[in-house]
Amino acid sequence: MQKAVTFLAVSLFFGVLSAESRDASEILNEIDDMWRGKSSYALFTMKVKTANYTRSMTMRAWSSGKEKTLVRILAPVKEKGSATLKSGNNIYTYLPKTDRTIKLTSGMMMGAWMGSHFTNDDLVKESRLQDDYNVVIGFEGERDGESVIEFSLTPKPDAPVVWGKIVIEAFLLKDGGYYLPLKERFYDEDMEVVRTMTFSGLKELGGRKLQTIMRVIPADEPDEFTEVIYETLEFNEEIPDSFFSLSGLRRMK
Amino acid sequence: MALRTMLRRKRRTLITGSTVAFGVFLSVTFTASGDYSYTNMIDTSAKMGFGHVTVQALGQNERPSVTKRLSGVSEIGKSLDNVDGVSRSTVRIFGQAMFASASKSVGGVFIGIDPASEDPADNIFVNSIKEGKIFDSTTGKKIIIGSKMAEKLNLRIGKRMVWTSTNAEGEIVSQIAKVSAIFSTGVNDVDSAFALLPIDRVRKTIDYGPDEATMVSVMLDDQRYSDVMARRIETVVGEKDREVLTWRTTQADMSGMITVDRASNYLFQFLVGLVIAAGILNTIMMSVLERKHEFGVLLAVGMSPLRLFGMVLMESVALGVVGLILGIIVTAPWYHYMYYTGLDLTSMMEEGSDIGGVLVDPVMKFRLYKESALAILAGVFSLTVAAGLYPAIKAGRIPPVDSLKAG
Repeated sequence: MQKAVTFLAVSLFFGVLSAESRDASEILNEIDDMWRGKSSYALFTMKVKTANYTRSMTMRAWSSGKEKTLVRILAPVKEKGSATLKSGNNIYTYLPKTDRTIKLTSGMMMGAWMGSHFTNDDLVKESRLQDDYNVVIGFEGERDGESVIEFSLTPKPDAPVVWGKIVIEAFLLKDGGYYLPLKERFYDEDMEVVRTMTFSGLKELGGRKLQTIMRVIPADEPDEFTEVIYETLEFNEEIPDSFFSLSGLRRMK
Repeated sequence: MALRTMLRRKRRTLITGSTVAFGVFLSVTFTASGDYSYTNMIDTSAKMGFGHVTVQALGQNERPSVTKRLSGVSEIGKSLDNVDGVSRSTVRIFGQAMFASASKSVGGVFIGIDPASEDPADNIFVNSIKEGKIFDSTTGKKIIIGSKMAEKLNLRIGKRMVWTSTNAEGEIVSQIAKVSAIFSTGVNDVDSAFALLPIDRVRKTIDYGPDEATMVSVMLDDQRYSDVMARRIETVVGEKDREVLTWRTTQADMSGMITVDRASNYLFQFLVGLVIAAGILNTIMMSVLERKHEFGVLLAVGMSPLRLFGMVLMESVALGVVGLILGIIVTAPWYHYMYYTGLDLTSMMEEGSDIGGVLVDPVMKFRLYKESALAILAGVFSLTVAAGLYPAIKAGRIPPVDSLKAG
């Protein structure tokens, strides 16, 4: 779900990024600031298609800053109430059927989150771009009739990240005067694309125009994808810290 | 007189002696192959990190956790190096981790090692390095991974990867590392799940102190004395928050398998021994029954039943001795070949066959410990003598008059 919040943050980041702001470090800081946000609430559907199954889940998510996120499944019925809490570097899962909370171990971090193409590790790592990557503007200008800016993120030498490079492509929303994401490409160390995220579904949510559909496609399985479709987005609601606790994870229905 | 009787029936003596010799041959084959394979497996598993004897924090074996730390490891290592029977002691940190590249991720086990204190002869991973070389610093961001892990993660020498583990406070921590070497032990499960890391880098990552580790693993001169050595080591470094365990406990699966296999081996040998003993019993019994008249004469001229019993029993003893000599003559070349060359069973085994993650040597060889050899000789000899007991008793109870009449 952090990806969903990531999406929010990316959207917000590009939303506030002014065309005049061209300093890469500054932009990265803005990403971080927006990533944290004050708080957010989202209602969304996640569709997962793999070679073995296709599933759809409706979820609600709350975030506070960039370190706290809580996601709860609303549908399908058999998984209703299952929840994930990300607090700092830790991830907890609550299973209502057994009424048990499990703290994910390091060995489970690369397991698929909710059966999607996101890993549990994505939830933790995606919130630290500014710590882990050097960012430069790789391209800025017209592309397919759109005013496009492209950021190239390369990992810092000691950063514990697997990507060799991340390229984020955004376009200028003409009637909004701010940038929105189009595509993110994740490369391995040999500079081969490993997975691609595409953004679409421009729509007004939470008081601003945002890309409301995010699709992740692994390069080695091009027929598979995970798609997140936002139905509701709200920002800066007051959410107490206790909401993002283990008792909050179990308590909330 | 017993010897003379034996020489009188040379063919029968030869056949019976050959039966005993066959018993020796079989017993040596089963025992020596067992001694070799068990020792090989125990030593191999010890070289996978735990040693023959392990000193670790109390409860670590039952419920492994990075929070259970062994303190004062340098001092423990120094103390153990002076213990008679200890070949080498090595400080190591074990932990579970997730290893990831951009392509994929796999769960596995890391072992934090100090390259300066690792002898390839006592570390199967270092000894199995096929590409690259072991890192030379304890603080570098290097990693040695198995060939299957490298394959799964699409990694080569010099490539970056991330390992994620849990620190002493239970927090998830990640660290970058470059592949410095790739090992291949031949066991898929091992080659896809194990990785070696510089020990001080591990300490820093998982918040261990400079003198803390998971364990001090101890290699012994002879694994057979693990229990004795564990008690000895306990007296040297034992404390209430530490446990000193042998491979039987740290490698419980393998230990259980060896126990069952050894018991089956002994049972099989016992059954074979019974069949051989029955054959000897039959031969000697026939020999007694066909000499009833002769025994009657001996008893009639004054030989006591006890002496007659002794004479027949001596025949068994002599047969046993002859059988053992024949057995040694027949078995020695076989043992010599199997000790130095062995039978290559690679074509009959799956590649990377293992038991509990421990590589099984596809070359079947022999190794017979002195006590095993003595046990075989004593066992086979005893069986031969025991087989002669009933005929000897029967001979001693022959009624002289009836026997003479029967003759």
